[in-house]
Amino acid sequence: MNGEKTERRMSRREFLGLSALGLGISLIGARPVAAARAASPDEVAILYDPVKCVGCKACQMACKRWNRLPAESTDPLGIYESPRDLSAITWNIIKLRRTQTGWHFFNYQCMHCTDAACVEVCPTGALAHDPLGFVALNRDRCNGCGYCTQFCPYGVPHLRVENALTGAAKSAKCTFCQDRLWEGIGGPACAEVCPVGALAWGRRGELLEKAWARVAELHARGMDVRIYGETEAGGLHRLSILLDEPEQYGLPSAPKTPAFARAWQRIIQPLGNVAFGAALLGILGAFLFVRRKIRMEEVK
Amino acid sequence: MTVQLKGKPEVVTIQWIPKYTFMERLGHWLHTATFIPLAITGMILYFPFLEPLAQGEAGLFVRLVHRVAAVIFGLLPIIYYIVEPRRLLLHIREFLPRKEDIGWLKAAPAYYLLGKHEAMPPQGRFNAGEKLNGLMMIITWFIFGITGVPMWFGKGVIPPEIFRWLVVFHDLAMIVSVCMLMVHLYLAVAHPLMWAGLVSMRFGVTSAEYAAEHHAKWYYGPKRAMEIWEAKKREGAHH
Ligand code: HEM
Ligand code: SF4
Ligand code: SF4
Repeated sequence: MNGEKTERRMSRREFLGLSALGLGISLIGARPVAAARAASPDEVAILYDPVKCVGCKACQMACKRWNRLPAESTDPLGIYESPRDLSAITWNIIKLRRTQTGWHFFNYQCMHCTDAACVEVCPTGALAHDPLGFVALNRDRCNGCGYCTQFCPYGVPHLRVENALTGAAKSAKCTFCQDRLWEGIGGPACAEVCPVGALAWGRRGELLEKAWARVAELHARGMDVRIYGETEAGGLHRLSILLDEPEQYGLPSAPKTPAFARAWQRIIQPLGNVAFGAALLGILGAFLFVRRKIRMEEVK
Repeated sequence: MTVQLKGKPEVVTIQWIPKYTFMERLGHWLHTATFIPLAITGMILYFPFLEPLAQGEAGLFVRLVHRVAAVIFGLLPIIYYIVEPRRLLLHIREFLPRKEDIGWLKAAPAYYLLGKHEAMPPQGRFNAGEKLNGLMMIITWFIFGITGVPMWFGKGVIPPEIFRWLVVFHDLAMIVSVCMLMVHLYLAVAHPLMWAGLVSMRFGVTSAEYAAEHHAKWYYGPKRAMEIWEAKKREGAHH
């Protein structure tokens, strides 16, 4: 092999080059660690007020119409909820929830988290924050891996599966009617259609003020209400007034999955990269070292 | 068989002896041929900087390749077990750690970096490093299967809380096994002392002299190998 080679030492340049290479490998895969983003008051949001809601489901219908989602046949089992849950073709539903003061409606849709687990885990960038703050979905980019469906703390995204075996699928969820906003047509169809103003959309800062005023008003009427979404998951872009603890609505009071997703991607992935970098560096170092220490013609 | 290598100052004569069966080599290379595409397609989903390859139709294709390769990767050891049950059990027994492996691991750096062979205890058909590699491949095969199959069919069936951990363990298995593969590749392809390994895995034979030095317990039998080693150690102490 290199029998003629006289003994040579690893040069400074080789050493520095190797170190830089190792460092580069460890860094290349690491996601940039963004400072925790706070929702800005200028971003857009939806506010839901269950005290105003009459459960007419106009929002649900408007969502289906605008997004051209087919009807879903379900068995409501004598319950008002129909369909029973969000799906790949139902992005907005009215649920019935039992609270301390009895049965109430609750509009369920994507919460458009600032600290969004779905955005964190999406390997394609199909799910990403719009500059206006909501979480947009680019269907062309989606590869159907379904991670978003498993990491969202609210169980919002669903896969429209074309073939379970090959995995061909596309994610589907409320997009804040991204096309309506982008084309300047208006706000989310659900909020625009609501006949009683239970769903409203606008600047997040203004909606929060409105929500606090409404909470004060309801408190004055002796109702035990609270706001959900001001701080949860970095601040939601779907704010809600609740008549009971979030758990009564099936909402986590402290959504943990964004942190889990981040730990997975921003700790384990870079650690893996360090392992790859170290392995590669060790091999290259050994290769250069061994080349001058072990002579092939002495090998048996 | 005797092969004469010319073009050197003296003629080198190599006596070849059989080391791996045809099935062992076929299994090894099919494992390689499925593991590498699995690692590449998996990493496309794993590395953020490979995001463009994961998008849309391309991403769909990447995931399809991962699944096709995974089926073969998963079935291989099972088919091997059906065809050669005793061989597979033999491998597992061969890979199990033993006391003398510690001595080997201690002596390995001086051997692999400086070529100092004296302190290396006699090894069987697989040395401690190969055993570690083999054992890790078996362990990660189980982890890939246990996590990968539910990642494939389990969405919407198993609780998301569990699914999230499956992805984490799938990734950890990938990190460990790909690091092992990198070291394995280097030793097999580029390390001068390991020249016979690749020959053995391609043609099934190894040099008798190489086997006596690297796999004494397999070449001489455990008892004789230990005697030779003890004798050598005594001889070394005299000097
Ligand atoms: C029994 C064998 C295996 C099965 C059934 C399997 C299955 C899967 C599945 C279902 C996914 C999720 C993507 C999708 O739904 O298409 C996945 C992702 C992945 N697989 Fe595998 N796999 C196997 C073996 C391997 C091996 C041998 C490696 C690497 C050496 C590997 C590395 C990965 C990686 C890195 C990901 C991406 C995880 C992430 O996004 O962080 N897999 N695998
Ligand atoms: S609710 Fe779920 S889908 Fe919507 S932004 Fe938050 S994590 Fe994403
Ligand atoms: S299914 Fe689509 S949107 Fe969801 S995480 Fe995978 S690539 Fe992203």
